Amino acid sequence: MRKEELFEAIEDIDPGSVNKARLFRKRRRPLWAAAAAVAACAALIIGTIGGVMTMRQKAAGSSVKTMSGITTVRAAYPEPVAQTLSAQAFMESDEHWQWWQAYHDQASGTEGLQSGMTAYNLSLMAQLLVSDRENTVCSPLNTYIAFAMLAEVSGGRTRQQVLAMLGADDIGTLRSQVTALWESNYADTPVLKSLLANSVWLSSDVTYHEDTLKNLADHYYASAFSGTPGSEAMNEALRKWTDDNTGGLLSDYTKTMALDPDTVLEILSTIYYKAMWREDFREENTTQEVFHGTAGDTTAAMMHKTDMMSVYRSDKFLSTSLGLSDSGAMHFFLPNEGVDVNELVSDPAVMSALRYDSADSRWSFPEVNLTVPKFKVSGKTDLLEAVRALGVTDALDPSLSDFTPLTADRENLYLSKAEHAAMIEIDEYGVTGAAYTELALAEGAAEPDEVIDLVLDRPFLFVVTGLDGSVLFAGVVRNIDA
Amino acid sequence: MDDDRIVQLYWDRNEAAITASSQKYGAYCLAIARNILSDRLDAEECVNDTWLRAWNAMPPHRPSLLAAFLGKITRHLSFDRYKKLHREKRGGHQLDAVLDELAECVSGADDTERQWEAKALIEEINRFLFRLPEDRRYLFIRRYWYADSISQIAGRMNMSVNQVSVILSRLRHRLKDDLIERGFDI
Repeated sequence: MRKEELFEAIEDIDPGSVNKARLFRKRRRPLWAAAAAVAACAALIIGTIGGVMTMRQKAAGSSVKTMSGITTVRAAYPEPVAQTLSAQAFMESDEHWQWWQAYHDQASGTEGLQSGMTAYNLSLMAQLLVSDRENTVCSPLNTYIAFAMLAEVSGGRTRQQVLAMLGADDIGTLRSQVTALWESNYADTPVLKSLLANSVWLSSDVTYHEDTLKNLADHYYASAFSGTPGSEAMNEALRKWTDDNTGGLLSDYTKTMALDPDTVLEILSTIYYKAMWREDFREENTTQEVFHGTAGDTTAAMMHKTDMMSVYRSDKFLSTSLGLSDSGAMHFFLPNEGVDVNELVSDPAVMSALRYDSADSRWSFPEVNLTVPKFKVSGKTDLLEAVRALGVTDALDPSLSDFTPLTADRENLYLSKAEHAAMIEIDEYGVTGAAYTELALAEGAAEPDEVIDLVLDRPFLFVVTGLDGSVLFAGVVRNIDA
Repeated sequence: MDDDRIVQLYWDRNEAAITASSQKYGAYCLAIARNILSDRLDAEECVNDTWLRAWNAMPPHRPSLLAAFLGKITRHLSFDRYKKLHREKRGGHQLDAVLDELAECVSGADDTERQWEAKALIEEINRFLFRLPEDRRYLFIRRYWYADSISQIAGRMNMSVNQVSVILSRLRHRLKDDLIERGFDI
């Protein structure tokens, strides 16, 4: 082939990319800002995530009895990438290239799974994000993984109800799907922390089916901890494990975590996420402005950015998104005047707005004057009623539930606890979030000619997606603390 | 005027479409043509021909990204003129450097008996581009689609000229390796 032919062939590459390249400009991150971002990241890694490293890197698969009498079997977690490099040095290194290729390919493999998860995401959001006045937040991916583990330890109709809630045909498909999602969304680099972790907490008085525990370790990366439920040593280990794997960001909720003495199994799933905007907001542009919350007007720190952005318009909302380095994006949905933000949380159009489609006329690419408040939202939710509303009923009833794949030692097991805590925070440099889901089984008795002003100064919905489109976090900001 | 209205003017056979296109995308198309052709008059002629070509293409086409659609026509016309003008002589022009870089990815031979379809090659190049981090993808496109100079790209990407050259070199080698691995013996 001649070089001229290659130049001609390139003429036909994706027009969307050509259009984006037309408008793309990279602003240099100020050195002081980059340093601050790296320093903030490093503090978290050393102070909290460092604990995760210790726990994860001990001989995976081997059983270790600790001083406190808790026996642990660690699941094998991926090694961190280029931990000694700064974010900028990593982005320019061959290590980034190699990591990115593998990560991108992995994510491409699970993009197709997202449409199958849409119904679950919407149902869960409808259950957890609707409120009159409170800010709400959840991690759909985190709850999905926890419930998939619940499906592993259940049988018969109990399992079928959990599979139906998750939109899965059978346990084998769900198992491989969760493994792929886990691997597509796990990243530990100097630029992106998307750390997923799972664990099961067992009673040393109970004999469990080893093949089930092995499935949890192999396919769900679940470490196993065995001891005396209700003992302070086990409660302390539970809290520490959860804090370590959520960066300590949910300590307000974890400090009361405890296992009931009747617990036969507790499933814990966590996510810690920290990503930088592809383009920072300029700190000097942040101004104090009024946010019209459901609880009245408050003064909020509003960040400002003007750029060409993909914008999606539906009859209920206007949305745009901001890209996150090496990850997906944070999407903002501002309800149209007269539309209650609660209407958006179960609106299928929200899911359509998570993925750009050039053939869909609801998309446009105008210049946007975006105003976003800095915010931090956190919350803890009891999932038992949500689970029941999503059709999982047998697991809640000791007389109907089937958890025989877990153990033959105990009968009348039921889902006695299902709690979900999540938080998310955004500032000029990026997004930080964490979530855990706790499920316990006890013995009985979730060039523009158009300029748009998108001002998020009233209640709005947000969704954070991973590289493969997985919904990592979703929430509604109704009020900003003054 | 927004793009949908301009496209509709073409469909309505309203000559205001050409005025609107020229006002909105004239400078953009001229920049592409000037990257490929050294002579401003040649470049302006290609841009004027762009509106005529667009007029003949719409209908039946209804492009969703008008800028990319018009830019592609300009690029095509400009490169045709470049080839005609440079059949005998060469040297010193920005596009010569772009083509010489692309020469690293190809054998340079007339492969009339090639085993692959042009469409498959485009799909493979698209696949390669989508696997790149976003800023690298746009950097590649700015150089090999828009034929921007290295210094223009350096300014746009906030990088040094040397950084851009090194990244482009790596991207070319990776593209070549990728194409060979996928059976495109180009």
